[in-house]
Amino acid sequence: MSSVQTSHQAVDVQGLWKIFNEGSNNEVTALSDINLSIKPGEFISLIGPSGCGKSTLLRVIGDLTDATRGEVFIAGETAHIAREKQLYGIAFQQAALFDWRTVRRNVELPLELQGLGKKERRERALELLELVQLSDFAEHRPWELSGGMQQRVAIARSLAVDPPLLLMDEPFGALDEMTRERMQNELLRICQETGKTIIFVTHSIPEAVYLSDRVVVMSPRPGRITHTVPIELGERNEDTRETDTFYAGVTAVREALRGRSTSASPSRIEEF
Amino acid sequence: MREPVSGKQRGATRTRVQRGVISILWALAGVALVVFMWEAVKFVGSFIDLPLNTSDTSMPHVWTMVDAFSNPVVRGSDTTVLQAVVSATLTSLKIALGGFAIGVTFGIILAVIMQRFAFFERGLLPFVIASQTVPLIALAPLIVGLGNRISLGPIEWTTTYSVMFIAAYLAFFPLSVGALRGLQAPSATSLELMRSYAARPNQMLWKLRFPSSVPYLVPALKVSAAAAVVGTVVAEISTGVKGGVGRLLIEYARETTSQPAKVYVAVFGAIALGLAAAALVSALDLYLTRNLPKESQA
Repeated sequence: MSSVQTSHQAVDVQGLWKIFNEGSNNEVTALSDINLSIKPGEFISLIGPSGCGKSTLLRVIGDLTDATRGEVFIAGETAHIAREKQLYGIAFQQAALFDWRTVRRNVELPLELQGLGKKERRERALELLELVQLSDFAEHRPWELSGGMQQRVAIARSLAVDPPLLLMDEPFGALDEMTRERMQNELLRICQETGKTIIFVTHSIPEAVYLSDRVVVMSPRPGRITHTVPIELGERNEDTRETDTFYAGVTAVREALRGRSTSASPSRIEEF
Repeated sequence: MREPVSGKQRGATRTRVQRGVISILWALAGVALVVFMWEAVKFVGSFIDLPLNTSDTSMPHVWTMVDAFSNPVVRGSDTTVLQAVVSATLTSLKIALGGFAIGVTFGIILAVIMQRFAFFERGLLPFVIASQTVPLIALAPLIVGLGNRISLGPIEWTTTYSVMFIAAYLAFFPLSVGALRGLQAPSATSLELMRSYAARPNQMLWKLRFPSSVPYLVPALKVSAAAAVVGTVVAEISTGVKGGVGRLLIEYARETTSQPAKVYVAVFGAIALGLAAAALVSALDLYLTRNLPKESQA
């Protein structure tokens, strides 16, 4: 266990650095001095241009790559222990479903690896497929589904072990605009039903604003957090995307990405 | 609200049986074409001088070959040439299958080791490749010579085992290389996904790497099976082991002056051997790829 204040956070990143090829000629500082605390149940988006390290940050949090310096805690556990204990689920831009398994057995995969019994994991998978509204496709093959449906299966799979935290790396990046908006609503519904903490990497400003409680704006060379923009949209619905608050949020994030701060983004500004 | 389904719908208008019948008809048409061309060459050769001896002694008529099936092996014998060839082909098939099975097993084990330990890939792969540059003909007597000195207690090492070993030796190479590529095929995302589940190395292998390797394994199996058959026949010839179709080819080839059609029956036997191996691999292919999208079938 870590110190007292970190054990209360869903995610706590302290003084994190990630440097590729450290000490050699082609040294690249992917992340420099990242500090980020996320409360349980919070929806955080990481946004920034390519190369700003947002995906790398997600991977360090998930213990998929090592930190060069600094520490990451998930629910008070180190990232490594958190991965071993399956304290997070993950979804990528590619659904990465296994072609040789049915949709249901794809969702069962994490449970199977944990050694859960056949009957239990089947029940759990069917429950999750119902949550993502794909019950009718349980016995289909992944390649028979559309891109949006495949991504819903991937989300169901990331929820399989019922982790408190979801890491999502541009999960809707490859979808068309209409499907994308529908998926965003579905994700929010799932969050509400399950109370998960979410870290969501995206390129899309409206997506980040619509989904998040806080948008974390990052900047490249070296990858760092420049602003944190709180979003106060309340309950999202059909009309949310047309409200002034939404537009204000979009503007604030856009300004932050340009390196300017507006009155709407008062939180945290670093010199660069 | 079923969304459009990807995957090819082409060919769905014909049933599997219909498609099967059509492909058999095409195969028969191919055989008919070869027969026709053979006879056409002979026919043309009877009028003009071709740079090819088209006389009945070197190019017997197709019907003479068919006729030779029912000739006795030697004058007055009860056994027909067909029976002798069928039995020899079956013997060779057993040897080839044994060699194939050993080669596949060894090839996969080697691929797993090379995948798991990068230094093995760097250290072993050059030897695997170099091993295939040694000519088979040179190797065969060596293996027989070494084999004869092996004592396995109750089991006696016969030359047949040496032939099987040579077949295995030829079969293992394409398989280990194909399997290695297959085991390395999973995408970075799939690997990260498994890592996020804290999958153990053996789970990684069985749940991800082996299933991902199937599209690479199937063509490798085809090449391996062919190599096992060729290895068997050539090794039978160069070691002179009795009972197989390789030996029969040599024996019958010596009788061309008296019975020119006879050697072709043995050739048909060798062809049947190859076809049997191909059929086996096709069955394996259907089984292994039963769950995969049809596009991924090479």
